[in-house]
Amino acid sequence: MPAESPPPIQCRDLSRSFGHGPARVDALEPFNLNFAAGQTTAIVGPSGCGKSTLLRLIAGLDTPSTGSVRIGGETPLQMRQRAALSVAFQDAALLPWRSVRGNIALARKLAHLPPDPGGVDRLIALVGLAGFEERRPADLSGGMRQRAAIARCLATDPRLLLLDEPFGAVDELTRARLNRELPALWQGHGVTTLLVTHSVSEAVLLSDRVIVLSPRPARVVADIAIDLARPRNPGAEADALIAAVTEALAQSAPPRPEPCVSAR
Amino acid sequence: MTIALHPLRQRSSDRLWLVLGVLVALLIWELLARAFAHTYLIASPVEIARYLWANAGLVARAAGITGLTAAIGFVLGNAVAIALAALAVLVPGLARMISALALVVFCLPLVATGPILRVLWGPGLGPQITLAALAVYFTTFLPLMVGLRAAPPSWFDLVRSYGRGRLTALIEVRAMASLPYLFAGLQIAAPAAILGAMFGEFTGAERGMGVLTLRAMRSLDVAGTWALASTAATISMLAYAGLGRLGQALNTGPPPLILAPLLEGGRRKGWRVLAHPILVVLVLIALWWLSMESAGLSQFFAKRPGDVWAFLITAPEAAAHRATLGSALLETLVLALPGYLLGLALGVGLAMAMVLAPRLARAVMPIAIALRAIPIVITAPLIVIALGRGATGTITIVALMIFFPSLIACYQGLARTPRQVLELFDSYAASPLRRMASAQFPAMLPAFFAAARMAVPAAILAATTAEWLATGRGIGGLMALTASTSGYGMLWSAVVVLAGVAVAGYVGIAQIERAVLRIYGAEQLTR
Amino acid sequence: MTHHSFSRRGFLAAGAGGVLAATMGARPALAATDVALQLSWLPSVQFGGSYIAQSRGYWRDLGLNVALNPGGPNAPVEPPVVAGSALMGISAADYTAAAVAQGAPFRIIAVAMQKNPFAIASLPAKPVNVPKDLEGKKIGMALANTPVLKALCSLNDVDFDAIEIVPTQYDAAPLLAGQVDCLLCWETDLPVAMIMRGLKPITMLMADYGYAVQSQTYIATDDSIANRRADLIALLRGEIHGWSDYLADPAAAAALTVKMFPDAGLDLKTQELQAARQVPLMFSPVTEAHGFGWFTDDSIAANIKTLALLGQDVSPDLWDRSLLEEIHAS
Repeated sequence: MPAESPPPIQCRDLSRSFGHGPARVDALEPFNLNFAAGQTTAIVGPSGCGKSTLLRLIAGLDTPSTGSVRIGGETPLQMRQRAALSVAFQDAALLPWRSVRGNIALARKLAHLPPDPGGVDRLIALVGLAGFEERRPADLSGGMRQRAAIARCLATDPRLLLLDEPFGAVDELTRARLNRELPALWQGHGVTTLLVTHSVSEAVLLSDRVIVLSPRPARVVADIAIDLARPRNPGAEADALIAAVTEALAQSAPPRPEPCVSAR
Repeated sequence: MTIALHPLRQRSSDRLWLVLGVLVALLIWELLARAFAHTYLIASPVEIARYLWANAGLVARAAGITGLTAAIGFVLGNAVAIALAALAVLVPGLARMISALALVVFCLPLVATGPILRVLWGPGLGPQITLAALAVYFTTFLPLMVGLRAAPPSWFDLVRSYGRGRLTALIEVRAMASLPYLFAGLQIAAPAAILGAMFGEFTGAERGMGVLTLRAMRSLDVAGTWALASTAATISMLAYAGLGRLGQALNTGPPPLILAPLLEGGRRKGWRVLAHPILVVLVLIALWWLSMESAGLSQFFAKRPGDVWAFLITAPEAAAHRATLGSALLETLVLALPGYLLGLALGVGLAMAMVLAPRLARAVMPIAIALRAIPIVITAPLIVIALGRGATGTITIVALMIFFPSLIACYQGLARTPRQVLELFDSYAASPLRRMASAQFPAMLPAFFAAARMAVPAAILAATTAEWLATGRGIGGLMALTASTSGYGMLWSAVVVLAGVAVAGYVGIAQIERAVLRIYGAEQLTR
Repeated sequence: MTHHSFSRRGFLAAGAGGVLAATMGARPALAATDVALQLSWLPSVQFGGSYIAQSRGYWRDLGLNVALNPGGPNAPVEPPVVAGSALMGISAADYTAAAVAQGAPFRIIAVAMQKNPFAIASLPAKPVNVPKDLEGKKIGMALANTPVLKALCSLNDVDFDAIEIVPTQYDAAPLLAGQVDCLLCWETDLPVAMIMRGLKPITMLMADYGYAVQSQTYIATDDSIANRRADLIALLRGEIHGWSDYLADPAAAAALTVKMFPDAGLDLKTQELQAARQVPLMFSPVTEAHGFGWFTDDSIAANIKTLALLGQDVSPDLWDRSLLEEIHAS
């Protein structure tokens, strides 16, 4: 099915600051990083370090103060305009007046793709929401909403998937189950995936590479390849990697709590 | 919206009590009317019923024509409001200009616009429809502007992440997200449209509720006056209820948690602070002059900006003109301000009381609608007779006119409290009062301030209308006098000054709103 | 002063009317001219003569297609006449004088009410029979009419400061509720309403005590008088004819009014009484001698004197009798 291969991502001197003068806050320091095509990369870091800002810059939802993002030779805007990328938001961002099916179909509509009811229903079944097609988001649990949001992300068959804490609002049990089930969904699609999370175990279980960021302004403090076979399950090998990432994270973060800066 | 759903789930015992309550109220009314029959002020329910029975055809035809003009005005006015709000959202650079122009047009007093509309339209229904449209568009525009922005940022990011722009966001996200606000606006607009249509008939008509009301009042036909008032109130209530049902049918689900404050624009510095108002004034003057010139209206009654300038500033008698206008304005404002505060406080207070005691909502809402729907033509003299021709009467009329829109807007705002926040309070078993103070009240603030802004021109309109119809004092009396004695220089100057005062009040409220939401509302909602 | 939009609208309407008349085979020879007469109030027998002229086709026979535009509380007469959307309007000498002082190019070309209809209405328990009775009384009226009361006082040596003015809406209820002792109102409306409710109000017509301000005056612009003279004369001829019929049978005029405006909420008995009560205001030996609408030089002089008391400086140029003279010469 995929007509094109997943793109690599290059961030060149990427930085973002908010406000002016004394009120200026640097969310991201000039930042150089590449993400390989077809890989799943997890970005972890302390709260408010600029993870979400980085993701928004790559999605082109925010404009960098300096530097640029190239996605397989294209700008984020070009990617967005041909609906080659999808974003999953922290709060699922399902429209309350649309059913599960309607929300998923909306992605194709927004992307100016022809309706594909069969494909939408297949995705609904894939994320385990069969039988809930006509339910409104308000009638779903947090985990079901997140799964609907993931299905919506996949509905446009994107080359780049940007997941911003997709399981942030989900309880731990559901989260563990989603972590087990969901990678299969997008890994079959041949996409480049960036995953922002604050859960180290989630990062290790889901990705091929984990990047650890420092507190604001964000720098890369560790870049760890996760070379585990799939499907992954918690075990000794994973635990060692989790420990390594946790250690990097602990060293990057100063002991005092940092005030949080919103990404907006 | 859970609160608003309650009235649908009445138990039969509730219904029995409701019927009993209505019967008792009717009985008290009947007895009061009989006791005061010699005053020719109150008609009893039996007299009203007898009048309606005897004049069913006449009242039905009048209600038909007034209802039709009100309905056309309602549709047109709201269509304009929706178009303006959509344009303001699509082209944010125009938003402030659109809001300012919409406000100024809404501030134009009926006593001044009526005759001009009649000259522009000639005989027929034109002025009635226009005045009905003018009476409704602003009270829809304002809540709609709040509603169109009342969506979480992630919904807009979603639209943008697929490469789509403002237009798609408007159609796919804002339109549906704003529906509850739109319907609150439409419900406020329903009685206003009837009132506008009736005022339109005062500019010269051969049939309609306004014509009949005027005739009945002058011929001491108390039963007729009250029968017409009851009919107007009933039509308004039916429209209100119908729109409410429609709004519930289109109910978009529980309100979202809104993570961003609803503030318009940023803080400006230096010359830019002044640049915008100056631009608005220039555009207004240009529009004023152009509309008068293009319609070829005679300078005798259709004064141009230069005429008003001369009248107030450069003419030899300008100082005397200013003194007359100033003292009349002061006389009006001294009454409009307490009425404004009272009406607003009543609206907020009752809205909160209704959320705390949903049963109260059922009993109070019809009365509130009726009070708003009975034409001010009828209520103004009654209130003045009941409360005297001094300050109390006018203050009460102003309060009555603005309390209803405030109530609806605040009630709607309270119902938009994010469910997550309410659940949090429930989880701590917080008392309803505590929940009101800490969760619902802050959530209501944007709607409250929209109501407070909306009420500024409404208060001035009510005060001047009461003065025009009942007390003959203040700037309303001055305008009525000058309109009948061809003192159009003074009339237009009064219009300009009143519009200026209304805009100043509106901007003042907006400043307070900004300050309050910055420190209070936004934070409450964000964390 | 040209008003393209209105003249075009008039032209279109005339065209449509002509086509309609032609297809219906009714009087295709005469293309009627569209004119409008701006009335000063809501439909009632107050304009009975005009309704007669309309329904009996007096204007149609003179080649006019007349629209009788209703007035109302928020519908001043002068703007549509200045704007040209009405050829002639029904005003009053004081309102016309005020408009002229503001630069409107008006003249009074005929007078329907020779006597001003303002009256003081009271109840038998506390009657106001002569102006002197006003002293120590509470009078309900619009504040805007204060100059009227002042003029009456100075004409009759009454102490204005001894009267308490209570601003009221134009409504008899305050009198009946005992809030005021008397009302400043028209002879032909509020007292009629009270009589119809079985009360016996006492009215003192101010015109009987020197208050000389012509009412229901026909006004037209200088421009119309010069350039649309024939239309104005035809319009006045129809009025005169209609009002002459009215005098012959006021009750018939009342019946016609009620029939013509079924939706205006008019009561036949009330209209009959009003029709009868306005006869002495509109008809006098002067109209008997010269015809309806006529006014004398004496009347002009008396009006100028009263208007001066109202603070209005008026010259005899405000009146133009030439159209009436033309009509009565032929």
